Amino acid sequence: MPEVPQNAAYMVAAYVVAAVILLLYTVTLWLRGQKPPRFPPPPPAARPPRS
Amino acid sequence: MSLVQKGRGITLVGLALLGGVYVRALAFTPVERLQGPAQKIYYLHVPAAIWTETAIIMVGLAGAFYLFLGDRRLDLFAQASAEVGTVFATIVLTTGPIWGKPIWGTWWTWDARLTSMLLLFFLYLGYLLMRGAVRDPALAARYGAVLGICGACLVPFIHFSVYFFPTLHPQPIVLKPSTPSLPGSMLTTFLSSFAVFTLLYVGFVTQRYAIGREKELGEAGSHA
Repeated sequence: MPEVPQNAAYMVAAYVVAAVILLLYTVTLWLRGQKPPRFPPPPPAARPPRS
Repeated sequence: MSLVQKGRGITLVGLALLGGVYVRALAFTPVERLQGPAQKIYYLHVPAAIWTETAIIMVGLAGAFYLFLGDRRLDLFAQASAEVGTVFATIVLTTGPIWGKPIWGTWWTWDARLTSMLLLFFLYLGYLLMRGAVRDPALAARYGAVLGICGACLVPFIHFSVYFFPTLHPQPIVLKPSTPSLPGSMLTTFLSSFAVFTLLYVGFVTQRYAIGREKELGEAGSHA
């Protein structure tokens, strides 16, 4: 009966890589979804006084 | 509750359940005798691959309907699906070689399945780059629809490439006409993982769609 291959390191690496990719994308979406602060529109430019 | 918040909620539930799938796959699913623990990469690689292909089909379908109906929401959905598909394709193209090294003895081989999946990944990248480069939204949507339809046409070729060509890549053991060849406990882990990836796809796409819509509304408001 052949021995079971000892390659658990590859399995762990794949699981870590997948988790990192999914978490990074989650954080990216989270940051992109934050609404930017809304500043009031700038006041209209003041007209020069009539002479 | 806004659409972004709904998407976040679904994503967080998906990530929590993904933790459960990790525990089940790593601790409670038997080790395959010939491949060893590396076989467990299957539980991430295959659901991600199925959703990579499904996502581009969604992009193609949304694109085709957009060309007929001209509804902006269809284009926003296509953009969202393309971005999430790229993320899943990245998982496929990283976990695949990590499995291939101990099983095949090589990280990569230019066989039909691997090469066609890489082509799909580049098509996704091209789609995203094009969306960023073309400034006219209507033109970008039309180009995107055509790219999406081309990508969707690639999916049958990717899926059946293992039958058409002599490849190193294993043939499907779940998505095939006959019954799945996985033992019960492995099949349960696989189906759990597939369900979680489905949830993640829905959560990510919902968030990305809502962000795109907010951005469009903001731009329309600033132009008004």
